[in-house]
Amino acid sequence: MSAPQLDRRTVLRAAAATGGAVVLSGAAGAPWASAAPVSSQRVYVLVIDGCRPDEITPESTPNLHALRSAGRWFPQARSMPIAETIPNHVMMMTGVRPDRSGVPANSIYDRAQQKVRTCGEPTDIVFPTMLERLRERGLTTGSVLSKDYLYSVFGTRATYRWEPFPLLPVTNHALDVFTMSALRTMISEADPHLVFANFGDIDRFGHSDLTGSNLQVLRRTALTSTDAQIGSFVSWLRTRSTWSSTTVVVLADHSMDWSDPDRLISLTRAFKGNALLDGKVAIADNGGADVISYLGRSADRSRALAEATRVALATPGVLSVRTTAQLRLGAKAGDLVVYCKSGYRFSDPDLYSNPIPGNHGHPATEAIPFFLAGGAVRPAVLSERAATIDVAPTIAKIFGLGAPQGGFDGVTRV
Amino acid sequence: MTVTFFRHGVASGDPLPTAVVLWTRVTPTASATPGSGRGPRADVSWVVALDRAFRRVVRRGSVTTSAAQDHTVKVDVTGLAPGTTYYYRFTYQRTRSTTGRTRTAPATDAAPARMRFGVVSCANYEAGYFSAYRHLAQQQVDVVLHLGDYIYEYGTGEYAMGQKNVVVRQADPTHEIVSLSDYRRRHALYKTDPDLQTLHRSVPFICTWDDHESANDAWLQGAENHDPATEGSWAARRAAAYRAYDEWMPVRLSGTARLGDGTQIYRRFTFGRLAELSMLDLRSYRTAPGGAFTQVPSRDDAGRKIAGDDQIAWLKRGLSTTASQWKLVGNPVMISPVLVPPLPNRVRDGLKDSVGLLPAEGVQYNTDQWDGYTVERRQVLEHLADQNITDTVFLTGDIHSAWACDLPTNPGTYPLSTTVGTELVCTSVTSNNLKDILGAPPRTASVGVEEAIKTANRHVKHLDFDNHGFSVLDVTPARVQMDWYVISSRADRAATATWSTSYEVPASAQKVRKVSQPTTGASA
Repeated sequence: MSAPQLDRRTVLRAAAATGGAVVLSGAAGAPWASAAPVSSQRVYVLVIDGCRPDEITPESTPNLHALRSAGRWFPQARSMPIAETIPNHVMMMTGVRPDRSGVPANSIYDRAQQKVRTCGEPTDIVFPTMLERLRERGLTTGSVLSKDYLYSVFGTRATYRWEPFPLLPVTNHALDVFTMSALRTMISEADPHLVFANFGDIDRFGHSDLTGSNLQVLRRTALTSTDAQIGSFVSWLRTRSTWSSTTVVVLADHSMDWSDPDRLISLTRAFKGNALLDGKVAIADNGGADVISYLGRSADRSRALAEATRVALATPGVLSVRTTAQLRLGAKAGDLVVYCKSGYRFSDPDLYSNPIPGNHGHPATEAIPFFLAGGAVRPAVLSERAATIDVAPTIAKIFGLGAPQGGFDGVTRV
Repeated sequence: MTVTFFRHGVASGDPLPTAVVLWTRVTPTASATPGSGRGPRADVSWVVALDRAFRRVVRRGSVTTSAAQDHTVKVDVTGLAPGTTYYYRFTYQRTRSTTGRTRTAPATDAAPARMRFGVVSCANYEAGYFSAYRHLAQQQVDVVLHLGDYIYEYGTGEYAMGQKNVVVRQADPTHEIVSLSDYRRRHALYKTDPDLQTLHRSVPFICTWDDHESANDAWLQGAENHDPATEGSWAARRAAAYRAYDEWMPVRLSGTARLGDGTQIYRRFTFGRLAELSMLDLRSYRTAPGGAFTQVPSRDDAGRKIAGDDQIAWLKRGLSTTASQWKLVGNPVMISPVLVPPLPNRVRDGLKDSVGLLPAEGVQYNTDQWDGYTVERRQVLEHLADQNITDTVFLTGDIHSAWACDLPTNPGTYPLSTTVGTELVCTSVTSNNLKDILGAPPRTASVGVEEAIKTANRHVKHLDFDNHGFSVLDVTPARVQMDWYVISSRADRAATATWSTSYEVPASAQKVRKVSQPTTGASA
């Protein structure tokens, strides 16, 4: 694996706590000293990727639990459909639903390219994110995202970026220890007003943990490790002069569900031999949600989608079928979303396509932890149903930004 | 004159944000006794005020009652303000009833910081005094949840106190209640109990029935304690029981306080964004239960129903669509799976008698409860998992013992697998528990059973087979906490009450956890 390539960007290679070097890139002309004194506010959005709300306990995650107890906590918080990583990170930074943001799922069928692809290109986001909206106001932003496709989809929107490195094979993410190191380095060297960080260990080890449906050995270890790093990070933040005006937003993009090897659903197989469906739909597998695009004759469209719904609902393990319009997913998501039940997963196009036990995307994975902490945050526990989509309006409120054109779909939580 | 006309006290119930049901019974003439069918029509006026002195009256009206409704008075007062304490009283021939206090539910979109609920069940008149009700009245709760067995149907001495079946106080009528007149008289008897009267006039009730409001182990087409050969048709008896319940309880059946327009008691209450309460009926629609009188062909049979299709769909819909954080379920019988470990025969038989467990050899589950209706239970638990519904707490009565349980979807892999909710079970007010049936001193024979059950069922975190009393459920956005209080003696009219233990369910945790002290009352 080679080091990230950096072109036409300013670059800082800083010594990191891990003993190695952290390579950060910045927009042309961006200073590497402290942030411009436009605002004393600091917001750090820490996404504990895939963390379940019931995993934050005094015993297993004492630091997160303590932070939550002293913070502004929303126990009813939810991920938004589809409960996948990329769309929910995009919703956090845009504050709008996928039919406006342009990113409905991790995996979509691209009609122009006539193939299933990851919805992770910089051009997939069609709505301004807080990363660039703050910059337009003279503030600085940073992205420290542990997954390659997150780095890709947010591209150069932030003033300062860290390209995840080194990436683990198979999981394609950087370990949290490297991500945290990059986050601290970025704050030390550039002190952006807003930093958007993703920690991927809990999610990635949840996906791949073959003891997942019960023991969850790797995941529990990851929880402990990530918790310790968050604790250390917040302790470090407290020592900084900006702590009194700092807000740390801690949440997950989705939670996690585990399935046994015999609980696979293949809609490709279910549709096989069906005159209306076989070869006439594309299926983008999102773990707990299959996204279906109809490709056949337009004259047959209504009948075919009705038939797809009927066949899907008759398939063991399928929970429900929703239209993409009902879920406000936009045209990129195709026509239908098929959800699986808890304890199942989709594996399309064949039964070997999705071997990992940990999955999300279905409603069983929508509950998430969500709380605000920091020097300016008063403790509270609120029954309101917060969501990932509320992060951007919250950031906007803190920095005094107005709503974007058309307004936010989320609401501020401060 | 007050005592003569309004000898059955006053009550309120089913609080909504802008409405509450008020209840009383007037005795217009000496001969107009409950169940007699005698007495003239009577015009009774009512008034609701913001203050105990009735200087700030907000609503008033009058109703006419008669022997046709056993001279009960039931008013659904509307146009009230949400989350507000009111005082009310009735007047008949210029004689006033005692003053009752009630409180409306918070507005649907309000965010209450706290709600306190009393939780009670299983009050057997002949088994003792209702001191638990008197002490609960001191707890400053917003609502009392009565989870069933508000009355018992037995004749005198058929089911009284302890192993020796001591009749602490005699019921009326002395025979098993079967007819409408009988049920009316039994309800009337309960409504003369001073402790129950105190609680009713202090706080609104939300009630559901269990089996003894009609007959033991009632189900769709019969009951263990019903013999069609000598007691007539079950349909007629149940209709009488439900009619008397409708008349004598401050509830809305089928959504209204009108009498005779329906018998649906499962219904929902919202307490702002903080909590929603679904009160279940697990006796009216269920197929034949297990138990000593009817063996269950297969507890996993898809045709076996405990709640019925409509009620299950209604429950699932409410759980997944509510905007409220805590999903409280008023659940007449236990939903947690309980495997009964091998026990000495004497203890086994005691368990069977006291809590309905059915440890007959080769049958190890409590088939009279959700354990006997596994298909519908699975539907509910899978729904909670499929929709990732958090903060669901089942509040249960029926089994004369205190339990705090996690609710795993897969008990076999608990605690490594996830849980989808919790269950908190209150003790009986007076009805016999295991200790009573065994005739054993407190904390002797039961202790071994409790530990054996907890060992075999690791999701059961707390179990008390020895005590009677009441519980207080304190609800905040951060947690719910159940405090169990126990009374010193059922046979002592002046029994004391002491705190026993407390468990909380932290928000998002889906698990119970022991805490070291009870909550204290501070009613809003």
